[in-house]
Amino acid sequence: MEIHIKDLKKVFEGDKKKNIPDTIAIDNFNLDIKDGELVGLLGPSGCGKSTVLYMISGLKEPSGGSVFFGEEDVTHLAPEKRGIGFVFQNYALYPHLNIYKNISFPLVDVYVDDYLKSYKISKFCKLIEIRNEIFKAINIVKNRNVNDKKVSKLLIIDEISFALNIPFSYSKYLFKFINKYDFNLDSFIKFLGEEIDKEKKRYHKIKLEVDNENFILKNGNRIKVRRKINKDEIDLRVREVARIVKLEDLLYRKPNEISGGEQQRVAIARALIKSPKVLLLDEPLSNLDAHLRLETREEIRRIQKETGITTIFVTHDQDEAMAISDKIVVMSKGKVQEIGKPQEIYKNPTNLFVAKFLGVPPINLYKGYIKEHHLYIGNELLIEKEIKANDLEVIVGIRPEAYKLVGEDSNVGLTLKIEKIDNSTRNLIVVSSSEFALNEIKQILDSNLEGIKGVNKFIVNQERMFVFDIKTEKRIEI
Amino acid sequence: MFNKKQSPQNENNENLQTNSSGNKFVDSLKSAFSKTKTVCNNTYLRLRHRGHEESYYYNADGTAKYDINRTLETKKRKFQMNQNLLAFLVLIPAFIFIILFMLYPILNSFIIAFTEDFTWVDGSGSFAISNIINGNSGHWEDMSAVGGEGMVWVEGKYPTSFGLGNFLYLFQNTSYSINLFGQTIGTSLFIKSLWNTFELVIIEVPLTIIVSLLIAYFIHKVKFLRGFFQIIFFLPYVTNTIALGMVFNLLFGSNTSGAIGGGLVNTLFGSNQQWISSGAPRWAQGVVIVTYALWDGLAFKILVFLSGLSTIDKQYYDAARIDGANASTIFRRITVPLLSPQILYITITSFIGAFKMYTGVRAVYQSQSTYFFGGAQGVEWITVVGYLYRDMKEINPLNPGYAAAGSIILLIIILIITAAQFAVSKKRVHY
Repeated sequence: MEIHIKDLKKVFEGDKKKNIPDTIAIDNFNLDIKDGELVGLLGPSGCGKSTVLYMISGLKEPSGGSVFFGEEDVTHLAPEKRGIGFVFQNYALYPHLNIYKNISFPLVDVYVDDYLKSYKISKFCKLIEIRNEIFKAINIVKNRNVNDKKVSKLLIIDEISFALNIPFSYSKYLFKFINKYDFNLDSFIKFLGEEIDKEKKRYHKIKLEVDNENFILKNGNRIKVRRKINKDEIDLRVREVARIVKLEDLLYRKPNEISGGEQQRVAIARALIKSPKVLLLDEPLSNLDAHLRLETREEIRRIQKETGITTIFVTHDQDEAMAISDKIVVMSKGKVQEIGKPQEIYKNPTNLFVAKFLGVPPINLYKGYIKEHHLYIGNELLIEKEIKANDLEVIVGIRPEAYKLVGEDSNVGLTLKIEKIDNSTRNLIVVSSSEFALNEIKQILDSNLEGIKGVNKFIVNQERMFVFDIKTEKRIEI
Repeated sequence: MFNKKQSPQNENNENLQTNSSGNKFVDSLKSAFSKTKTVCNNTYLRLRHRGHEESYYYNADGTAKYDINRTLETKKRKFQMNQNLLAFLVLIPAFIFIILFMLYPILNSFIIAFTEDFTWVDGSGSFAISNIINGNSGHWEDMSAVGGEGMVWVEGKYPTSFGLGNFLYLFQNTSYSINLFGQTIGTSLFIKSLWNTFELVIIEVPLTIIVSLLIAYFIHKVKFLRGFFQIIFFLPYVTNTIALGMVFNLLFGSNTSGAIGGGLVNTLFGSNQQWISSGAPRWAQGVVIVTYALWDGLAFKILVFLSGLSTIDKQYYDAARIDGANASTIFRRITVPLLSPQILYITITSFIGAFKMYTGVRAVYQSQSTYFFGGAQGVEWITVVGYLYRDMKEINPLNPGYAAAGSIILLIIILIITAAQFAVSKKRVHY
């Protein structure tokens, strides 16, 4: 499902009596998302990224602009009619329902138009169909101690359901027979066949027929009905989704009995169960610890790739966004700063905000100027290259990894005084100072320069260095 | 605290040099702090000054050494003791009232209930135990049996006996009748009152919970005029029960002549229904009583439900909306389960309240005589508590044993039902 967002706007009304002005949360938000893309909305807290997500979901009404899902304008459509899945920041799992019921919640009380079907015959047919796999169920029953409590019986049936990919009620029926000590597969199949004939005869008595697909025929026609989705259908779907998010073992626990990462997966499963066209995730990883965060973000990526659902997620963590998104939208103060592929944005920021926001440690900023088509910081010539622009006050941004040590006699470069060396696991991170610095200068240097100290001169990799206009904060091509 | 110059409070190892005489040491300290008390405990010296205490190790050679550990320990112990003492002191008034007005009366009524021919003279019932030990100081004799008139008090020791006589009395005498599923059955008045109470409980409790839950839900949902509605529904809570009863008398008044109108309800609906007049049918009186009890109890329940509703996280509703649940599904599957602790609380208190219903019925019949509960016999809608009052004050004023026995039966019924509710709640209530 493609998503097009045009001129989206959100204004929170103020209170004139209390002298609170209107707040423009989102202004002129434009975004086009291709089918199956994973898009990250990235920005500092309060920049309006969650508001955009809520407006796409329909939980918040936009003040202006429109949202298109494919060709359809959904701007004023109720959230439940949009075909979306939503994962809330703190998951919003219903605390009184177990995981199974939480996941199946969107499907209960859902009506579908269908033809009347004989569910009994469907069950028998399905069991006959999978007769070659019934040995799996037999093995499961044999390997488990059935005489345990009722709970373990439930778990065995559950395991059979997963192994044979059949609904719970089918495996319960199967279990009843397998548990008998004289179980014989051939006689079981024969028994099922007899049962089907019996059932068909019963229908025949009231002048109804059953066709090959187990639909009931009246005068040769299928009977139209509007019915609730039945338990077996829900069960199959729950198991399918549980398998995707790897929750098979936890279906009968309550949300407060499982870990944060597992809760997260339950929330995703619940969002996926209706096979949404769009999946929206609001800060999906913010409640997890660092290790779990890494794991879960890969999980989200995997699930997204597996299902191919167009996904938008909100995050304030650049690592997260960089690691898994196909496309990043960097936002600030309700406005889009830049849209693009993660590495492109990092390598090619359009303005000062984007350059500052991306990258750890953050980009080093210096006050500089362009004179006679050359770039200077202080009275040092930074690069030899000639620049189109002239006579301009600029901010020079240099990525921490762009420095390279040179001798004092080099005619270009930047002199920095090294203050402190931070110990890091991989790199040598050096805190330096310069009278022209606008923020803390952190350099990532080769680890063989461990003994470095005092005043040194560095040349700068031009690809990792950006020049911004001091007034507009826009990037100047060099 | 001690002055630092005179007391080596913060220096562990400093010794107090004294003369060989212990008394002189004490004297010198006394002169230094006029209000200081000193206590000599073998080798330890505890100095107290304005509630503060310090410990010194008092050597045999007359030197004393400041002992910080012992000082702190004493302080800690003293603080804990003070805390305990304070807690007890604060609890004492409540304890006294609970023992005097709750626990003792319950015990006393147990004794009275199991004492046959207990005789009530000048408050002798307050110490029922003495009647059992010493016997009654006299007894009432029915003079009508010997051709005289009324009851006469005869002095002299009269033994009392322990037994179930009072309980049996409640179930004897079948001069009253109840209508059990279309069949009229003769019963004692106590069983009739029990039956009435059960009827009121079964109708009123579910009704009051459903109505108050729905009202709370809609007050919670509606934004326009919410404060106004809250006030409207909270008014009964601050209104006097008897005043409410008077209003209901006016609402459900009727013309005895059978003409249309008479009260607000009749006038509005253009009917001539007799509601609470002595000729009114049983169901009509029941409707008024239930309506009254419902209205009277609504405010508090709405308040509890509203506070419960406001604690439910809004994200659940957002999530349910995304999931496509409609309003009724959200109410049944999310609001009610998440509100279950409040629902349990309200259910239990409503059941207990309904079983103890008395003022409600009395308020409806307040224009009649004191122990009138409707109907030709004046007991049509008598409740258990109503029966107890009537029996003790009007029927058997000299023997509270019957009323005591009745109250114990009521207590047992309430206990059983409450226990059952707790048992059910373990499965249904999600904290």
